[in-house]
Amino acid sequence: MNERQGFKFFAVFINMAWFALFVLVPGLMVVGISFLTRDMGSFFAWPPTLVHYKELVDPVYAKVLGNSLVYSLNTTLLCLGIGYPFAWFLSRAPAYRRPLLLMMVIIPFWTSSLIRTYALVILLKANGIINAVLMGSGIVSEPVSMLYTDVAVYVGLVYSLLPFMILPLYAVLEKMDLRLVEAARDLGANGLQVFVHVVLPLSLPGIMAGCIMVFLPAMGLFYIPDLLGGAKTMLVGNFIKNQFLTTSNWPFGSAASVFLLLLMVLMLGIYFLLSNRFNRNQTL
Amino acid sequence: MKKWTIILCLLLAPALVCAGDKTLFVYNWTEYMPDEVLTAFQEKTGIKVIYSTYDSNESMYAKVKLTRGKGYDVVFPSTYFVHKMRKEGLLSPIDHAGLSNFRHLDPILLDKPYDPKNTYSIPYVWGSTALAYNSDQVDPKNMTSWKDLWRPEFKNRLVMNDDVREVLGIGLIINGFSVNDTDPDHIRMAYESIQALMPNIRVFSGDSPKQPLLNLEAWAGMVWNGEAYMAAREFDAIKYVYPEEGAIFWVDSMVIPKGAENKKEALAFIDFILEPENALLVCEYIGYAPANRTAIEMMPEELKNNPTIFPDPTDVTKGEFQTDVGEAILVYERYWERLKTGL
Repeated sequence: MNERQGFKFFAVFINMAWFALFVLVPGLMVVGISFLTRDMGSFFAWPPTLVHYKELVDPVYAKVLGNSLVYSLNTTLLCLGIGYPFAWFLSRAPAYRRPLLLMMVIIPFWTSSLIRTYALVILLKANGIINAVLMGSGIVSEPVSMLYTDVAVYVGLVYSLLPFMILPLYAVLEKMDLRLVEAARDLGANGLQVFVHVVLPLSLPGIMAGCIMVFLPAMGLFYIPDLLGGAKTMLVGNFIKNQFLTTSNWPFGSAASVFLLLLMVLMLGIYFLLSNRFNRNQTL
Repeated sequence: MKKWTIILCLLLAPALVCAGDKTLFVYNWTEYMPDEVLTAFQEKTGIKVIYSTYDSNESMYAKVKLTRGKGYDVVFPSTYFVHKMRKEGLLSPIDHAGLSNFRHLDPILLDKPYDPKNTYSIPYVWGSTALAYNSDQVDPKNMTSWKDLWRPEFKNRLVMNDDVREVLGIGLIINGFSVNDTDPDHIRMAYESIQALMPNIRVFSGDSPKQPLLNLEAWAGMVWNGEAYMAAREFDAIKYVYPEEGAIFWVDSMVIPKGAENKKEALAFIDFILEPENALLVCEYIGYAPANRTAIEMMPEELKNNPTIFPDPTDVTKGEFQTDVGEAILVYERYWERLKTGL
């Protein structure tokens, strides 16, 4: 084995070992525990059982999952609505200005998202910066309720996840062949027709990648609804955490995690299926 | 092959450097000990303190249980978790002879059923969960009982702890039951009462219930006395009252887990905290009453007479201490899920 191959092996091996040890093994443990019995003393014990999956068929869990899906879906649509025009202008900005603009999208990521969420509390609270400006300028006489509302939750979620929408959209829009737009124009299409028939279909892979990159993390960011929304609705993340910590019901918490995992695998599967089909259509 | 050796050395170097120093791993509640006390301990003994925090007994218990306490040297569980961990053999006996400051402890808090003779635990501080309100917005006459939380003028104006036992506990109290009730019918009645309270609740706060009061988002609610004390230092309109039905009380103790690797250092740390000067520093900072009689005697009058920290003895007798509810926690959690999903 020469030095170069040795390095290659080392790099790949470290990566694989890392994932196996810290992702695959704990994941399999969760799957395993979900089939065991709850035990107060040691968290889980024999005999194996399916009862925890049966318990999941409960309107409470359906509602918890539904709440999470609604938050994620709305966040994804908001990010798409805000991110698409932004990515378009970004990709059409003069080339020398783009690195700076991209940088400004990425810089907030250098700070922990938890700290950025607390910063939003300072902006939104009744005696916060926004209300001080509104009241100081005489626009309102009473502080506007923003913190601990759904609006605050969406502000927080969109703010945290918007770059995940912008970056993939920017990647496809920047590569797009502008001659196609010109050709459509020459053939008499108006702005809307160009967008619907040329730009939108060409940016579809970016839209799908962006949506999946916003939707899936939005399901897990339960601390944003907790801190900004006042923890009044239970989301999947809270539900699973409570099973592990409050009730020490590890098998039930594991079953809920496995179900969520399967749901996400299903969504990723649909995404790959659609993008495969899309790529085939492209080459035809 | 030489390269590998270098990489390996680099990886192992930090471990070797640390091996010489004495260290102590302290695992405590968030905002429960001022940094000055930790630095003073480090300066006095040369023992390096590695400090980490938790926000619920349950998460602390899960970690200590899984590791058999290896990796933590001093932990601060509440009474009913001391009882639970002691019964499960997770705690190491504490040598009272090694504690020169044991005599400063308040005898009222010693030798309790959760740990007879304090073999496994040394009380740290005690406190309560009761009512807090913003006196700019709320008339003190309208804040004397847990039932006042249900008043229509508090619509969307209350802060509650994000804690299943405490929130349903209020429901149990106003229905005339104990906060430690395990009867599913009683817990259901508590749930129905709290369900009627939901329109008044603005926020469940898991990290710091004083914040919504200071933010002016909430006008009243259930708060720990230390949080109310800290809030009042920032904003003096925040008042704390013990409801006429009685508050919920707890004691947090220092314990040494069975698997602790630095037991001698842990004992030195506990003794250091028992020094009246240090107990006083802790109380001034976190606003919970120390379990230390000498420290209380040393206090300036205004602190000693602060009813937020030191309730009237009649308020203490009316109140109740939380205990472990065993398997009934599953019933509590089921109603908690319903409360938060609106089913």
